[in-house]
Amino acid sequence: MLAWLFRGLRHGVVTTRYPRRPEAPPPGFRGRVVASAAGGPELEELCPTGAIRVADDGRVVIDRGKCILCGACAEAKPEVFVLVSDYETASRRRAGLVAAADGRATVGELRASLGEQSGTLRRSTHIRHVDTGSDGAEEWEIQALTNPYYDMQRLGFFFTLSPRHADVLLVTGGVTPSMREPLLRAFEAMPEPRAVVAVGTDACSGGFSAAAGEVAGGVDEVLPVDVYVPGSPPAPIAILHGLLLATGVLTREAAA
Amino acid sequence: MSADRLQGSGERSRQQLLDRFVEREDAQAPERRLVVSADELADATRVLLETGGHFVGTFVMCEPELELRVLVALRGELLVLEALLGEERTYPAISAVTPGAFLPERELHDLSGIVPLGHPELEPALRPDADRLTRRVVGDQTFVIPYGPVRSGVFEAIQFPIDTGGEDVLSLSVRPYFKRRGLEQRFAGLSVDHGAYLAERIAGISTVAHGLAYSQAVERLSGVEAPPLAQRWRVIHAELERVANHLDVGIKLAEDAALSVGVARFGSLKEQVMRLRARLCGSRFGRGVVAPGGVRSQPLVSAGEVLRFIDDFEKDLRRDRGLLLGTTSFIDRLVGSGRLDAETIVSLGGVGPIARACSLGIDARLERPYGAYPHLGFTIARATTGDAMARFDVRLQEIDQSIHLMRQALERLDRLPSDLHVPLAATADGEACGWTEAPSGELVYCLRVEGQTVREAHIATPSLRNWPLLSASYRGDVLTDVSFIEHSFGLTPAEADR
Repeated sequence: MLAWLFRGLRHGVVTTRYPRRPEAPPPGFRGRVVASAAGGPELEELCPTGAIRVADDGRVVIDRGKCILCGACAEAKPEVFVLVSDYETASRRRAGLVAAADGRATVGELRASLGEQSGTLRRSTHIRHVDTGSDGAEEWEIQALTNPYYDMQRLGFFFTLSPRHADVLLVTGGVTPSMREPLLRAFEAMPEPRAVVAVGTDACSGGFSAAAGEVAGGVDEVLPVDVYVPGSPPAPIAILHGLLLATGVLTREAAA
Repeated sequence: MSADRLQGSGERSRQQLLDRFVEREDAQAPERRLVVSADELADATRVLLETGGHFVGTFVMCEPELELRVLVALRGELLVLEALLGEERTYPAISAVTPGAFLPERELHDLSGIVPLGHPELEPALRPDADRLTRRVVGDQTFVIPYGPVRSGVFEAIQFPIDTGGEDVLSLSVRPYFKRRGLEQRFAGLSVDHGAYLAERIAGISTVAHGLAYSQAVERLSGVEAPPLAQRWRVIHAELERVANHLDVGIKLAEDAALSVGVARFGSLKEQVMRLRARLCGSRFGRGVVAPGGVRSQPLVSAGEVLRFIDDFEKDLRRDRGLLLGTTSFIDRLVGSGRLDAETIVSLGGVGPIARACSLGIDARLERPYGAYPHLGFTIARATTGDAMARFDVRLQEIDQSIHLMRQALERLDRLPSDLHVPLAATADGEACGWTEAPSGELVYCLRVEGQTVREAHIATPSLRNWPLLSASYRGDVLTDVSFIEHSFGLTPAEADR
């Protein structure tokens, strides 16, 4: 056991300072797609999941809740679509994922408030995860939050096995017929205030599976969703960002 | 019954079979295809399996005519049996010949209504109800623990109904399909290029293996080969994926044994690999790299940098591994748990590290080499005892082999022509298979393409082929062994459920 202790100490602190300090994704990381120019309706064809919509005036609207970050659009039309590296992609509203022009002026502000929130959060937040039809990648990224690089426990986040102890329900995947009932049961067993976080593009909109006819097409078809974390799959920091947004929901609801 | 002996014998009866049936003379078809009648399908499969083939999958091609397919892997090639279905839409079940066909035949029955005659259980399977359980063991003081589909921890949805008397596991059944998303059907109508994005999202944790199997099927139809440099980068991505998968098994097993520093150390190693993958291509899972015809973009990190990473990683890994294998409280939980023998694995059609942990030399990278693998040297990792320890041992050996493969693949890249992608001039209409050795075993894609569009896709996944082995591996194990045994299998429900 002593050997393990030394092994653990040897590497020093590798943990991110997020959200107090910004965490930069590696160059070229696929965080979000941004449309920088107008175009014709033929642009819609570029997207395999129908995330691109071109308005009558030629404005290109990207639904990040449907986007799987495959980069097909940026590969075909680099003059219109650009992949931007970014971790903080979560939103409290589904509509917040749909953006024509990408206004991100408030990001620093938001992060500052999140940092404050996490500092002053007196109670710890317990998380229950339910998979309702993910591709398995989201589970890896959620599990990664406990590794020394992210160490979500330092922010007061813990996984719990019982939904009765949970404040946050993390849902991955568009909801399949077999998982609808188990999901509802887990949600109903949770005490209030509670927050539901949809993790991944499949959970936000059904993603690729939406058109297959099997899944409901996003968790919000079944449950009220408080935070949407798009991405296929979202990176651990993006999920952490979503969780911090969820604690905001919890604090606000507890006060009300 | 050793696999080698199986593979060595019976060449003659196989040849007799091949002579008896018409071989489809199709210039485009890259695999050997035999046309048999629906009545003879099970018999033909039996002969192939008895002469050393292993069962891969069976499914129904819906167009242009309703036809059954049985895929059998032989050393050096993949054989496709084709059988036209008659008006009555029935055929003698393949499950009577090999239990490996049990789940695939339930699937095809659910999806198309075709009846495999003599199949032991044809209840609808694809939309399971968590509350409807069948008891396998009936007796005084026994009960069923319906473990799943919402399970204890951040795990994917699957249900393991466990019959128990309190501590002993009397029987553990596997109920997949809770998260079936209908993705095989989703392929229909996608362009061959967009299909690759979907393939990458069937099973997130083996993104590259799926993308590669799909792309190789398309390439075989088009008659093109990815340029040598692209082949090398495919190896790098595929092996990094294998390393990440095997490390993940290490994390989960250490967690089951409550070794928190072990969890943290293996978690760090895996995170380093995931970060390297993100730096290489912008995706922590290697998404958007492999495409039909090559790889999509220039790697964002130089070969030298990857080599330096591998050197550091190897040193770190060696220390952590030594420590983990020296921790008796960890080893004790693995030795003897979930033991399988070679005969069971052969009969159920098991593949991947699970089969290799029973000294079976099954590995698509060697048996049916693809891409750059024929030019690279490596050995098949094997163990003999067939228990959870053997499976973990095989995975650790495979990490070493992956490192060895990556070092070779990164050698003298600058001497290769700089092309990373060849255009697919015109993908011929027709059917083709593509395969890879995914982290959990051999993965086969079977595609039918028409006019640059995927019409049908059928996937024989290693997870689906290995799930029945999980039930078979319980021999006197107790409830606290369940998570160790499951995690030593390293399977992902998403892949089987599709």
